[in-house]
Amino acid sequence: MKHLKVMSVMLIIAITTIVMPAKVQAQTGKEIAWKVYDRPSPKDGESDMTMTLINSKGKERVRYLHQFLKEYDEVEKKVMFFKAPADVKNTSFLNYSYDDDRDDDQWLYLPALKKVKRISGGSKDDYFMGSDFTYEDLEKRSPNKDVHKLLKSETLNGEQCYVIESTPKEEGQYSKRVAWVIKDKWIPLKIEFYDEDEELLKVLTIPEFKQLKGYWTVITQNMENVQRSHKTVIKLSNIELEKGLGDEKFTQRAMMKGL
Amino acid sequence: MKTSAYILGTLLLLSNLGYAQSEDEPKLEINGFVRNFTGVLLAPPNEYSIIQNTLNLEFRLQSDKFALYANPYYFQYPNKADEFRLREAYVDIYLDKFDFRLGKQQIVWGQADGVFITDIVSPLDLTDFLMRDFNEIRIGVNAAKINYYPSYDHSFELVWMPSFTPGVLPEDGSMWRPPVDFAAPPTFDNSNSGVPFNLESSEVFLKYSMSKAWADIQLMGAYTWDDAPAMHVTPIAPPDPAAPGLLIKPEHHRLALAGMSFNTQVADFVIRGEGAYYFNKYYQTADPTATDFLVEKNFINYVVGLDKTIGDWKFSTQFIQRVIIDYDEQIKENEVDNLATLLISKSMFRETVRLEWFSYHGLTTNDALMRIRGFYYPMDAVSLELGANIFTGTEGMFGQYNDNDMVYARIKYNF
Repeated sequence: MKHLKVMSVMLIIAITTIVMPAKVQAQTGKEIAWKVYDRPSPKDGESDMTMTLINSKGKERVRYLHQFLKEYDEVEKKVMFFKAPADVKNTSFLNYSYDDDRDDDQWLYLPALKKVKRISGGSKDDYFMGSDFTYEDLEKRSPNKDVHKLLKSETLNGEQCYVIESTPKEEGQYSKRVAWVIKDKWIPLKIEFYDEDEELLKVLTIPEFKQLKGYWTVITQNMENVQRSHKTVIKLSNIELEKGLGDEKFTQRAMMKGL
Repeated sequence: MKTSAYILGTLLLLSNLGYAQSEDEPKLEINGFVRNFTGVLLAPPNEYSIIQNTLNLEFRLQSDKFALYANPYYFQYPNKADEFRLREAYVDIYLDKFDFRLGKQQIVWGQADGVFITDIVSPLDLTDFLMRDFNEIRIGVNAAKINYYPSYDHSFELVWMPSFTPGVLPEDGSMWRPPVDFAAPPTFDNSNSGVPFNLESSEVFLKYSMSKAWADIQLMGAYTWDDAPAMHVTPIAPPDPAAPGLLIKPEHHRLALAGMSFNTQVADFVIRGEGAYYFNKYYQTADPTATDFLVEKNFINYVVGLDKTIGDWKFSTQFIQRVIIDYDEQIKENEVDNLATLLISKSMFRETVRLEWFSYHGLTTNDALMRIRGFYYPMDAVSLELGANIFTGTEGMFGQYNDNDMVYARIKYNF
């Protein structure tokens, strides 16, 4: 009887030992995801943006943009002006992204049409301007949409990182993401994106980031489609944060006026 | 020659300003494109529908407070006279709550694609029917445009056009010239076809816009001229009583309208619409008691559209209806005219290839125009377009061009 009792206690301990770390890990993975999501960000900012599309043969196509961004209580407003190449010059794109599950509101100004068109915001799986980034890749994703699991800790590019796996609760464009998050900076240094067959589809790497006005800011990011062997490099320059941008920057009037 | 000198003068003025103020904020930007457009009819003997080489230039000198803009273009044809014109040339002045634009300008209103319901400020150049790009179909008008922004999401736009600019119809002998349908041989008298060049003949357009995250809404009104002249018909006593004739006097008449447009997003769909009530449009009638065989009627014209994007696919459809109010059976046009459009577009290979289907379907006249085209972008700023324009039906706006099916190629370089 006593032997049985000892066995029972040992079994409970064993189960607890197995289960509890898993529970802690799950919470920790979620916490890490929230740390990334809640990483302090500036109220507003603007920058030049260079987007280089590189195909499997190494041929490059470069797009130049200028973007303004401003955070409001429940919405993030972003406007982008295309500066080159010539066939898209003076095109502008305005996006309202909401904290809740509402679809984005988006408008596009095409100078040839001379009017601002509202466009469907439900196409976040679309690739942005022919790049390897989808619209969803370029925005903050709420941790509530995924189940997060801490896989391990390891060093990447000299940075101590948590490695977390995030699996969407609802079917999306990726079956899962695996992110290497820098401890105490909460920047994902690398993210692997897996397709619906759970095959590695894309790899995002952050070769350059720095602290500007107290905010950790990603300067350069590379997205490589490993299945199709092409990649996209986005690099920001002339970054200005906390400028006190006015609301007038994020209007259809500003879109039509241009830079 | 006079036009050329005017354009050259404008360009030099812009260049000088750009040079003189190069150390200040304003900067001069020169952009444009060159393009070859070659089309051939499908019906034997496969005549060329068009061979056109284009040089399009855009000069912009812009600062925070003002901008100067000029858009001269040159169409070169191997088989007819070249065109060297100024599509737009204007000055912008930007104030805190006001924008002013003065000069020759294209003004675009409304939410519809490829149809013109409230988009009637700039008349249309239908020299090549609807084959040109829409920014090349609209004719620049001499106007003063004032935009007032009392807040970020409300605005008022007032357009005053001191003089009337008529639309352009296909020239005589053109494959796009609509067939003339009169009961007897017509004799045209254009003595009343012009509009007086005075203050009283000016045109006024007013629009209120509200832009919210949930919807964009516009209300508009206009007191304008009908771009399409009414044909005043008078029987004439011919020398031979057995062969009566008709005297046709084209004349533009005043037209007023009140309208609205909107767009909003519901789920993943964008819903668009616009409509207008037009007052006192002149319609041709067979009623012999009507003066000059014309009657004045009001009519409604509206469109409802739906847009949807699924991955790389884009879908858009529109339903357009025009209804003549207090219809008289002897009016030559239908009481109700229904039209639909369909757009299907797909981008692929990282947006280096795009396939597009855009079609008009005359639901009342059972005719259609199908524009099928593919774009290839081998490098930045260069595009190669291959397409076909197919007309079906025997009557109506598109059926009348049933012999004009064509294939074409356009090569364009932007700079």
